[in-house]
Formats: sequence, structure tokens, C-alpha cells
Amino acid sequence: MESKPPQLSLDEMHQLRWLLGGALMALSVATVFYLDINSEVMAGLALSGILAALAWPRLPARVHPWVHRLAFPLILAAFAVDIRLTGQLLPAIVRLDLMLLLYRGISYRARRDDLQIVVLGLFLIVVAGVLTVSLLFAAQILVFTACALCLLMVVTIVDSNEGGTAPKLAVRGVVPPWAAHAGWRRLAARLWEVSDWRLLASAAGLFAGVVVVSGLLFLAIPRFQLENSLFLERFVTRRAMTGFNDSIKFGDITEITQDDSIAFNVDLSDPAQAPAQPYWRMVVLDEYHNGGFKLSAALRSELGRERTSANIQSGLSLGRGAPTWTFYVETGVSRYLPILGRFEALRFREAQNFRFSRDLSVVALRDEPASMTAYRVEGMAADSAELRDNFFSARWRSRGPVGPPLQLGIDVSPADKAVLSRLDAELGKTAGAQAFAERAIAWLRAKHRYSLSPHIPDGPGDPLVKWMASGESGHCELFAGALVLLARTEGIPARVVTGFKGGTWNAYSGNYTIRNSDAHAWAEIWDARTASWLREDPLAVAAAADATKEKGDAAIAGLMDRSWSARLNSLRVFWYRRIVNFDQQSQADTLNAVKDATGNSGKWLREAIAGALGRVKLWCRGPWDGPRLGQVGAALAFCAALVWSVATGRWRLVRVGRSGRVDPVRREAGRWLVRVEGPEPLVLDLQRIRFGPAPTWPSPADVFQRARRAAASSRRPGRASSRSTS
Amino acid sequence: MTEFLQADRVATAKATLERLRANMAKAILGKDDVIEQLLVCLAAGGHVLIEDLPGVGKTTLAYALARSTDCAFSRIQFTSDLLPSDVTGVAIYDETTREFVFKPGPVFANIVLADEINRSPPKTQSALLEVMDRAKVTVDGQSHAVGSPFMVFATQNPVDYEGTFPLPESQMDRFLMRLRMGYPQHGDEIEILRTARSGYDAIALSAVASRDEVAAIQALVPQVFVEDSVLDYILRIVAATRTEVEFKAGASVRGGLALRTAAQARALVKGRDFVLPDDVAELVPAVLAHRLALARQSGDALEERRSVGAHLKRILSYLAPPA
Repeated sequence: MESKPPQLSLDEMHQLRWLLGGALMALSVATVFYLDINSEVMAGLALSGILAALAWPRLPARVHPWVHRLAFPLILAAFAVDIRLTGQLLPAIVRLDLMLLLYRGISYRARRDDLQIVVLGLFLIVVAGVLTVSLLFAAQILVFTACALCLLMVVTIVDSNEGGTAPKLAVRGVVPPWAAHAGWRRLAARLWEVSDWRLLASAAGLFAGVVVVSGLLFLAIPRFQLENSLFLERFVTRRAMTGFNDSIKFGDITEITQDDSIAFNVDLSDPAQAPAQPYWRMVVLDEYHNGGFKLSAALRSELGRERTSANIQSGLSLGRGAPTWTFYVETGVSRYLPILGRFEALRFREAQNFRFSRDLSVVALRDEPASMTAYRVEGMAADSAELRDNFFSARWRSRGPVGPPLQLGIDVSPADKAVLSRLDAELGKTAGAQAFAERAIAWLRAKHRYSLSPHIPDGPGDPLVKWMASGESGHCELFAGALVLLARTEGIPARVVTGFKGGTWNAYSGNYTIRNSDAHAWAEIWDARTASWLREDPLAVAAAADATKEKGDAAIAGLMDRSWSARLNSLRVFWYRRIVNFDQQSQADTLNAVKDATGNSGKWLREAIAGALGRVKLWCRGPWDGPRLGQVGAALAFCAALVWSVATGRWRLVRVGRSGRVDPVRREAGRWLVRVEGPEPLVLDLQRIRFGPAPTWPSPADVFQRARRAAASSRRPGRASSRSTS
Repeated sequence: MTEFLQADRVATAKATLERLRANMAKAILGKDDVIEQLLVCLAAGGHVLIEDLPGVGKTTLAYALARSTDCAFSRIQFTSDLLPSDVTGVAIYDETTREFVFKPGPVFANIVLADEINRSPPKTQSALLEVMDRAKVTVDGQSHAVGSPFMVFATQNPVDYEGTFPLPESQMDRFLMRLRMGYPQHGDEIEILRTARSGYDAIALSAVASRDEVAAIQALVPQVFVEDSVLDYILRIVAATRTEVEFKAGASVRGGLALRTAAQARALVKGRDFVLPDDVAELVPAVLAHRLALARQSGDALEERRSVGAHLKRILSYLAPPA
């Protein structure tokens, strides 16, 4: 009997094709949610339509014929209107792609349509990958590749099964036979039934091989900047998503802290220099007006004119041996880049449009980055709570009644000013900015509690002054703003700084991870004696203030994160380190690391084998008493039984059939029927065991033994014939 | 199915069927495959429709079967003016007894040859429906059993359709198989030409099996074992015809039952008490083809038969038999 392994029927192949095509489209459309191009509604619509048609394959037959007639003219018209209204080419093309995918998703597809969805989906994946440069892109492209390969294979098989004729597009309005009886649970059961572990293993091996070879090629080939080649970023303009802007209203930073997603990761070349409580500065805000601080025109002009370069040389020299800091800032954080303080040099992966002020220690990109931003900072003052500002110092020394603002302005009503004066008087007289700051902070902490849900008293007047005069609780912005107003009332220049405070140390990838929940605001107060700005955080406890001076292992130990999210984030950091921010040097480092790892593995293996042999020798030299002999005997008996059962095939008899429907003995007989061609009585016995009534079976073990001998003799025709002739 | 066949009963049945095969082969030269399928149909207790050109041995085949099994043979030539009562019989008023007396028609035989069945109007064709299904004829409210075994052997010409009435699907479904004789091989036809006989009356075949033996074989068939995976295979084939876009409608439940019974009968013909997937696959064209109609009807009946056969073959090629 000619026996074939179980296969999917043509209808089931059609169902599989529909499933893979739908999954491919859904995966592609989902990537659009990561792009900030105002296409969320359309992507949601497309995704819903595709998933609905995927779940109910009869649905496309209900689509009105007019939809098919008008689809392409309407899609083209919508694209033209989109271009006209928005003037942005890439978002319009992405939306066009979404419309085409939606239409393909809700209509029955011929072969060319399947190929079309592969191309349309690939476009979305590549655009999303280039624009976001995220780890998700790597995962998506892998899944997409696997899906697309399977889809193309199924399309080819269906095509060949239909005799190579041009595949028929289902008649519109008519449910094709495969869709009429489609059931995904049944298809899953059938897939499980027909799947062969050898085929799956070879497919998985092949896919893994492709991934490994691609990875090795990536390591070996020279780098080039994909983004610069495609100019895709320039087609997209982003809007700021967070509160780190030129101005903040009270509550903006607190709102950011509600988000626990990762804001940026920081690699440090020398972990021994890692501070325990870093303050990641981003924006300096000096102008206060009615409950909000903003960047004044004076400071804006201090940021200088816009420049385009891949490097920022500050002209400072902070001494040799300073570590290198590599920042990977996620999208949507801010166009202001987080840094710890003054630095010698900052290097981007590619040329950027930016403004930079050495004295302010602020770097601002022109636009909100559309993708992850990576930059490397060398020679950065990481642990200093003082920021020297020569420019302001000169201005302060030569201050007069007329001149540039000195960050002393308090834009409040006279009544509020009187309140401030009264509050300032409560503090008493102090000598020096540092002493004033300590006293003011102590006063604030005594009067107000920290809370993420502050309460500002009702009534007329400036909200911050009202809060200061009350005993209500408040968040970091209120504390920092209050300190600034008190200092200015005292005649000490002060300003608010926003950014992030602290972070965790990823135990797996060895880097700082700063989340949006670490967003913070603090104050800087001018110390005329040292001609520098003092960082004053009203919410930093005294113990933590001491901790900021800790460095290296002691600092890292307090920040160590070994959670599952840290483990996942380590993959993201690996992606950034080795894929995104990859230059010739890191390429060489990676190859060396691979070489070292290989060498170390071999060494470890040799040592492990030598150790095991040593233990065996030691064990053999021990006394051979009764229990030991018993153990050896039992082990030998177990091994002999195992070898015997494998050799005689009996182990298969006790194995439960995979589908649970066919008796394992019958299944075993079926296997032998495929392999054995004769003699006839043996085939009849095998047929009886496979298809006959069980009470009439001959002994299965004997029959399988005969089958084994017959198969062995058929493999050795020369030996068998020579034996028979002799 | 709780009872299993004993080996000696299977061997006896096989021997009887072998004798029948050998005996019929004396009269029907070179058509061993058709004889085997006819024996399968006989064992299964089904009816057969033979479609072929005139003069290829259809009547001879039926007559040879009747002679070999010692069965009563009757032939009805279907024409456009044939009445149902001409087939089933009629109740006639008897003056002496003053009662209606049933006069059995030609259908009261063991093997009934309904020659050129599509020449009669549907009303007359329908007269065969009950008797094919229940082996009984009901006239004036009274049922009369026909002979046992009972087999209708219908023929029709697939080429000449002028003035014919194609069999309705309900009636086609009642035939277990549709067979084709085909022209004999060159050597066999030479041998036919050498013989002096013409017409089936001249066939001198002795009976090699009794009616009781045939009835015993028919009683054995339902006891032939069908393993679950083989039943699943039958069902998958039937289901595939229902979802095949080229067919107007798939095979009925009766079609599936017919395929199972025929496969059991074939297993018995081969001397087995269990069904192999090969038994099923071999019988699919003969058992299912006449129950299926193309979605796009062809004007040429022969072309249509070929298309249906090709689609069934394709279904069999992608439906893997149980292994």
C-alpha cells in the first residue's frame, strides 16, 4: 500500500493563506502606532477591519460591490487630498499604504494580491524601523520575515495544487468554499496533526541559520548610516510629547512621573565613576509668570545661534581619565538632551541641528527627534553640585540699574510681593547663598509635605505665593519654584532646572536606566563667592545628599535593578550598543568579544571535562562495598533495558499517539507499512494490526520484529542474497 | 460493530466470489476489473448503472452474472411509452374470485436489466425507486417482496441523448456504482470474433454459486471491520466533494454510506475482514462520480464524466490516506 504522510487539504491551505496574510497585515499596520504621524485612527480602523475579516472569513463576501468598484479611485483621491492638506509626503504615503492594506484585508485575495500585501507590509515595517530605531523593529522584522516566507510557501503550494493555472479570484459577493467551512480551531488541530517535527526542526534551523548568518554579516560588513541614506526623518515632523519644553506649568513634571516607561539609558565606560544620585539636567527656566516658569529671551539668546555639526567641543578641559558617557534617549522625551553638567566634547552619530550653551550646560536640538537619539559625552563633570558660569559672573559683577536680566525678577502683584517679603523675613538673615538655601529648604520642608496631589488654595493672587503662604502639600515643581522666589526676594539670583534625578543600574547590561517616573525639578542658586550655580534640591533628604558623593560599586549597589523589566531592557541596550550606535571601533570590540567568548567557552568545556573525569577517577578509587555495587548494577540494568527497548522499538508501543486518536500500536504498524515492501504475509499482518479489529491481531511485537528484520535485509541486499545462496 | 468475522467464513466467501469471477470471465473477456467491481456491487447488495456505447457487452455482463449465481434474470427494455405498471406489475380483477389479483411485473426477478433506462419518462423511472430501495413493490396498498438477492442492472447510452430523460439525482443516488465497460483489448476482441455465438441467450454458463451463498455473502459485508481512521478518510473524501468549488453539490450522506459499504464488500472480495484505505480510494470514482454534478455544466456528457473523474482524482491526490 502506498502510504503518504497526512497533509492539509486544498481548502485548509487556503485558510492558512488567509490566516498568514491577515497576520502579516495586522503586524505591519501595528507598527504605525509607533510612528507619530497622526495616523492612529486610520491604523486602528485598518487593524480592526483586517482582524474582523481574519476572524470571520465570510465577511468579505458581504462587502457591497460598489466598494470594490470605487475603492481605488477613492483611495487615490484621498491620497491626493492628504498631500494637499498636510503637505507631508511620507505620512501621506503611509496612510495610502494603510488604506490599500485595509482594502486587501477585507477582500478575497488572488496570488498577486498576496504578493502585494507582502510589499505593502514590508514598506510599513521598514519605515517604522528606520524612524523609531527600536528593539521592537528587530522583533517585528523577524516575525514579518517568518510570516512572509510561510505565506509565499503556502501560495506556491496552493498554486501548484491548482495545476499551475492562474489562481482564481473569488467571485465578489460569493463565499468561497474554503471560507464557508473555515474554523481556526479546527485548522489549528489539523496543523498540529500534519506537522512533522522533522520539518519544523529543519525550518526552525534554517530560519535560525538565516538570522545567524545575517548577524555575522552585520558584524563583518562596514557601517553606513541608513538614516542619512533614506532621509526618512526629514519627512516627518514631531510634536513634543512631554513637559520638558521651554516652559512648564506646575504639574507638568508630575504628570511625566506617572509614566513608568524608559526615558533613556546611559552607558558609562568606567562604572567606578558612576554617581549614586545623578541629576540629569535638561532645561533651565528662569522667567516666572503666573504659576509657570519659562526660558527667558535672555537665556534663549545665551544658547547661541543654531549650528549643524556632529560634534560639540566645549573648549573646557576637565582633566584626563574622565569616563565616556553614551546616552540613548527614547523618542518623545524632549528636544533638550539630558547631561550631568559641563563637558569637554559631545559627539552625535551624525550631524545635527542644535543650540548649545557651555555656561548653561544645555544642549537643545532644533526639532523633536523622531527616533531614538544617541550621543556620546566625554569628560563630563558628573558629581559636581556646582556649575561654573563665567558669563553670568561677569554680568553679575558689572550689574547696574539697566542691563540684561539677572534672574532676580519676580513678576507678581505688589500684594504677593509683600507676602514674599514677609515669608523671607520669617527665614531670618543669613550670610551667603549656601546658608540661605539650607535655611530656606529647612523652612519649606517644615511647612509643606511632599505629595503628588498638591492643593493650591483658592482665591486671588499668584498660585505659587498662595501655596508658599499656606501649609499645603506640594510636588517638586512647587518646592523648587518656592525656593527660587524666596532666593530672588532675598536678592540672590535663582532659577529652576528640570530633568531627571537618579535612575537604576541595570544588573544585566551594566548601565543606568532612567525612567519617566524619575522626572524631577530642582533649583539653582547663584553663589557670588564661587561664581557658580549651586544645585539645591528642596526634596533631597540629608542622607541622600551625602549619598550623591558616593561613587562606583557603592553607588551602583544602591541602584541595582535585577527585575524582569531590567532583563528585557538589557536586550534593548544590547540593540542600541551593537546595532544602532555601531561604529568601526565598537565593531572591532564586538568581534574581539565574540572571539574571547569562544575561547573562554572552549576553555570552560575542557576544564569541565577534566573536572568530571577527575571526580570519576576519585569515585572509582573509593571502597567497593555492597550499596555501591548495587547502585552500579541498577544503573547498568537501567541502561540495558533502555538500549533493549529502543533497539526493539518497544518504547514506541507505550508512547501515546500525538493526535490521541490513533492507537499507538496501530500507528507503529502504519510506520512499518511505509517501510516494508514484503513478504506478503508480513504486510498482511501489518495491515491487520493497522486497520483490522484488535481481537484478531497477531502478536504486534513479533510482527514488528519480523518487519525490522525484513527492513534490515532489504537494506543489505548483497548480504541477504549471499546468505541465501550459501 | 461488536462481532468479528471468523476466518473460515471469510475464506468461504472469497472462494465463492473467486468462482463467480472465473466463471464470468469465460463470457466477458478482458474485463476483469469490471467483473470485480460488479462482484463488489453484488456483495454489497447495491445496484449498478452501466454507461457505455451499445454493443460493448453490458447485457451479456448482467446475464452472465445471473447465470453464474443461479438467479432469475429479467430484462426490461425502457422506451418512451413504457408504463410504471409494465415494470412493477398490475392488479387485475379476477372474475372467478371477484378480487383483484396482483400480476407481478418483470421487476420480480433477482437480477433485473433495465436496458436504456433513460429512454423512459421520469414517471416510469420512478417506479424503480421503491424497489431499488426496499426490494419491495407496493401496488394498491399491498407490498410484494421481489427476489432475494435483488440487483437492478441499468444501462444507458452516454452519447445519444436525443429523446431521452436524464435520470434525476435522487435516482442516481440509489445506484451504488456507475461502471463503464469500454472496448475490449485487441487480443480479447479477436477471441470474441472467433466465437460463433451472438446474443446473450447463447451464453452457456453453469451456475457456480447459489442464491443462498450470495445472500450469505451479502450478510457478511456489514460485519467487515472499518477502523476509525478509515472512516475518517471516507468522511474527508465526502467532505472534500462538498467544498470543491467545481461541483454544484457534494456527495450526500447516502453517498458516504455507499462508499463505506462498497469498501467493506471489496475487502471481502479480496479475502479480508477489514477495510484498507486502498479499498476506499479504488472505489471513489465508481461510487461517487455519478452522484456529483459540475458547477459549470458541459454540453458533452462524456467530457463531463471525464471532468468529474479528474476532480475526484485530484481530491484523492491531496487527501492523504491514513498511515
